[in-house]
Amino acid sequence: MLVIDCPYCGPRDQSEFSNGGEAHVKRPDGSQDISDREWGEYVFIRSNPKGLFYERWVHSHGCRKWFNCVRDTSTDEILEIYKLDDPQPPLKKFENKIKTPSGEPDVGSGNFTVKK
Amino acid sequence: MTELKNQNSPFIHFHQKISFKFDGIKYYGYKGDTIASALFRNGIKLIGRSFKYHRPRGIYTCGIEEPNALVQIISEYSEPNVRATVKKIYEGMEVESQNRWPSLDFDIGSINNVFSPLFSAGFYYKTFMGPHKSFWKKIYEPVIRKAAGLGKPPKEFKAISSHLHHNVDIVIVGGGLNGLLAAVSLINTNYDVLLIESDNQLGGILNNSSKINEINGKRSQEWIKETIENIENSKNIKILKNTLVTTYNYINHLIAVEDKYVGAKPAEDKVNSTLHKIRTEHVILSNGHIERFLSFQNNDLPGIMLGASFEKYVCRYGVIPSKEPVIFSNNSNSNSLIQTLLELNIKPKAYIDSRSGEQIEGQLFDLIRKNDIPLYTNAQVKAAYGNKKLEKIIVEDSSGGTSEIATDFLCVSGGINPDVHLFTQSKGLLDWDEKDLTYKPSTPFQNTITLGSASGQFNLEEVENEINKKLKIFSPNKIKIKIKPSTANEYQIQKLWEVAAHKSSMWSKSFIDLQNDVTTKDIRQAISEGFDRIEHLKRFTTNSMGTDQGKISSINALGIVSDLLDKKVNEVGTTIYRPPYAPLSFAAIAGRNSYEFYDPERKSPIHQWHIKNGAVFEDVGQWKRPWYFPNSKSESMHDAVQRESKNVRENAGVLDGSTLGKIEIKGKDALNFMNLIYTNSFTKMKPGSARYALMLGEDGMVKDDGIICKISDEHFIATTTTGGAANVLACMEEYAQTEWPNLKVYMNSITEQFATFNISGPKTREIMSKVFSEIDFSNEAFPFMTFQFHEFEKTQIRIMRASFTGEMGYEIYVPASSALKIWERIHEYGKEFGLIPYGTETMHLLRAEKGYIIVGQDTDGSITPIDLGLNWMIGKNKTDFLGKRSLTRSDTVRSDRKQLVGIMPTNKEDQIQEGQHILLQETIETPVPMLGHITSSYHSPTMGHTFGLAVIKDGHSLIGTKAFASTSDQKTIPIDIVKPIFYDEKNERLVS
Repeated sequence: MLVIDCPYCGPRDQSEFSNGGEAHVKRPDGSQDISDREWGEYVFIRSNPKGLFYERWVHSHGCRKWFNCVRDTSTDEILEIYKLDDPQPPLKKFENKIKTPSGEPDVGSGNFTVKK
Repeated sequence: MTELKNQNSPFIHFHQKISFKFDGIKYYGYKGDTIASALFRNGIKLIGRSFKYHRPRGIYTCGIEEPNALVQIISEYSEPNVRATVKKIYEGMEVESQNRWPSLDFDIGSINNVFSPLFSAGFYYKTFMGPHKSFWKKIYEPVIRKAAGLGKPPKEFKAISSHLHHNVDIVIVGGGLNGLLAAVSLINTNYDVLLIESDNQLGGILNNSSKINEINGKRSQEWIKETIENIENSKNIKILKNTLVTTYNYINHLIAVEDKYVGAKPAEDKVNSTLHKIRTEHVILSNGHIERFLSFQNNDLPGIMLGASFEKYVCRYGVIPSKEPVIFSNNSNSNSLIQTLLELNIKPKAYIDSRSGEQIEGQLFDLIRKNDIPLYTNAQVKAAYGNKKLEKIIVEDSSGGTSEIATDFLCVSGGINPDVHLFTQSKGLLDWDEKDLTYKPSTPFQNTITLGSASGQFNLEEVENEINKKLKIFSPNKIKIKIKPSTANEYQIQKLWEVAAHKSSMWSKSFIDLQNDVTTKDIRQAISEGFDRIEHLKRFTTNSMGTDQGKISSINALGIVSDLLDKKVNEVGTTIYRPPYAPLSFAAIAGRNSYEFYDPERKSPIHQWHIKNGAVFEDVGQWKRPWYFPNSKSESMHDAVQRESKNVRENAGVLDGSTLGKIEIKGKDALNFMNLIYTNSFTKMKPGSARYALMLGEDGMVKDDGIICKISDEHFIATTTTGGAANVLACMEEYAQTEWPNLKVYMNSITEQFATFNISGPKTREIMSKVFSEIDFSNEAFPFMTFQFHEFEKTQIRIMRASFTGEMGYEIYVPASSALKIWERIHEYGKEFGLIPYGTETMHLLRAEKGYIIVGQDTDGSITPIDLGLNWMIGKNKTDFLGKRSLTRSDTVRSDRKQLVGIMPTNKEDQIQEGQHILLQETIETPVPMLGHITSSYHSPTMGHTFGLAVIKDGHSLIGTKAFASTSDQKTIPIDIVKPIFYDEKNERLVS
């Protein structure tokens, strides 16, 4: 289970939080004239990378505040937590930190020794 | 049978006799005995039947790694699959063997052994395919389930556990030699340290063998005692005994289970086990090693055991399972066993080593010669024979000749493995050691340090160096230790995984997994059928998939596979050891979240009144809601609901609607916000008025509904469905924070602060005028869909003219503390008008007659407001609201979407039911087109027959046509598709 450092309350157990999926997905304003495809992308399509992921969390059993987080989905390591109005940290800030549990490649999964 | 004791064992209280029962027969053991050690004292070797072939099995090990000796503890709510090698006995304990019928000695299931050639690897997948699909569910599965398996699940469940959280700096797993030394090095440092040991004694190998005689010039037991004292006196170290670390998660999060009743019957009203949830910065794994076995023909006979386990029984439990065992080994780990036995004047019947005379340690060689023990070098045990117990073994020596040795006991050692389960759970990497022939921890993934044999460091002289080097990061106390090993220090092993069968036949078996009855033949078959990847092979053969996860055998399987495929073991890879390390009970995981604490029960402020008035309750989410109020014990639910419904239509009724979600929204931009959240427009709404509103998801589907009261442009109160309250609030908060942070708006749940009473029926106005005599309830002063605040006996109440039944009605919102007073007052004054309380079922029936939907019953997350015919609720002039753009998506504008309609049986006496599918033709021909189904159906006392609401493809254009509802017995009922309203279509009663 993760320890999540709520920017308002400090480090707490994951069980106090709810995940809100990918971050930095801007909701198209209703006044915009956009195609079915563009709207559909917003409603239904989210990225699901192995590795660095910008995601949203809410401290639902705490201060109920939303915030953003950069997590490595292959290691579950949380690399940065920042408030909603903070700027999105660039990807290259974390490049040297990428590591996977079994030294596997960034894409795909499986038993590394079998793969060799 | 004379019992063979090792009186020197300091852990067994030989003066304290304990009686217990095994399969109904009374036996004696001593305080400190496990079930296994006590059974050895009584000469019992047959202890269970195997999983698949029902072969007789005995005790194979002396610890948590045990594959065979699983028993059922009758005296503890019939706890199944308990390891006899771990569980300590207590007075009056009742133990039973498992997987045998009618008795352990005579087991009918052992016929499987005769048919065993049929049950080879993958037979489940291949055999039980025909003649019809239903055969699996009805015949094969029940029979197989009964015959195969472990213990029986208990009928009753009463264990109590609690959870304990720790936040520490360092956890040391394993309190053996290295664990103790690690703790010593951290005494009085600034770290919070937790030392966890699964046994009730610290010392590990020092207790379990005679490998080490002296430490720092002291006898080992003396040294342990002194060391524990030092650790206990230290302020920063806590020791947890009887605690097994089962799980090593991400972020150094460990789960450990503590048995609070070791060697005692668990109290029924006290906590039996504690689940420790541990957060730590560093983990030191010093959890030792596990000895592995060897595969040869009939290597599963009772009387065959691991060598180190035999030594542990002698040293740790003071029992000698046999006075003339034969020892078979391929490595130096068995040296100390011979030494231990000779010290007790027990002479092994023979020593068989696959290594050559030159490879065998000189010290051991001298010992064997001096004591005149028959020695077989370059030799292997080809087979074991016996009827339900070991009787003789066949030995093949270097020349290829075989000889027979009659013996009742065989100790086997195939080498030792670092116990890497926890290390791999932590995602650490392993590496194959070609010299020691085992996987050893290499790269840790977390802050993990492995020490001693857990790290694959088997040399006792290296202990001091290793600890001082690996723990350097903590700036610890420097360890100075002088260990005097009793036997050769260097670990030596010769490769040997399997001995070819003595007499190979269809029935000969060399086991590779004792718990799941997997033979080396199964491995060969799997490979020849193409399952040559180790993870595939594991699942096809079920090798190492038992509850022991192949602790004593999985490495052997890798060795055999690598030989068969002619690959290096590192290339074969290893399967992943998953948590838990050993099975832990659901009771321990559940902790206090069981029975009445499993899920909180929410109750309305007048719950007690409902109980007193005989309400039958229904669960709605976590809420307990009155379902109906039977007027006598004999009144059925149907009769009560018909009576309640009729009374509301003719007189009046009142419903406790307190569970309805209530959210208060305030702020400068509240109006703007509400316009964005709900489909409706609130801009032109007058303060003091109310409106039925819909909330959509961004996909355009109906998510919730409720009534919105506008107090001012800056202040709203919204009601939600009972089940949707938390989600609606969460959704509002999410959008307020993430999408529209510029809007000044705040929201809060006031569900539990206010009780809600829904009073409706033609006589409501008269009743209300009596209850609140100073309020004018006339249509002019108090029109439909408006609300007013009033002071009543010093409490502020809010009354709204609204209705969910179709009759004229009011909703009264009162502070929870005054709820009962006002509820009783309503009944007091309402009595003369025939007012009754009614429950949720009547409410459902009445609203369905009016065609009012229930979100979640008539909708299912795939229904738009247009599908419901609620186009009028969509604020056409609004530029934006949740899901607005989705209402014009190509999918939502399709004409053949499922749409809400009403249905009535053509023959009024027919009963239609919720869930029935709608057909357009009378006969059922498969495949039946999925047109839709009935979402709500009731018997209406007003109409005198059943009716329903349904969602049907293109339903709106089918109104006025005929269709059919299919019944569960494959018949059809003719129905009329009608508008979804059955009562007071012109709303005359509603606004009267």
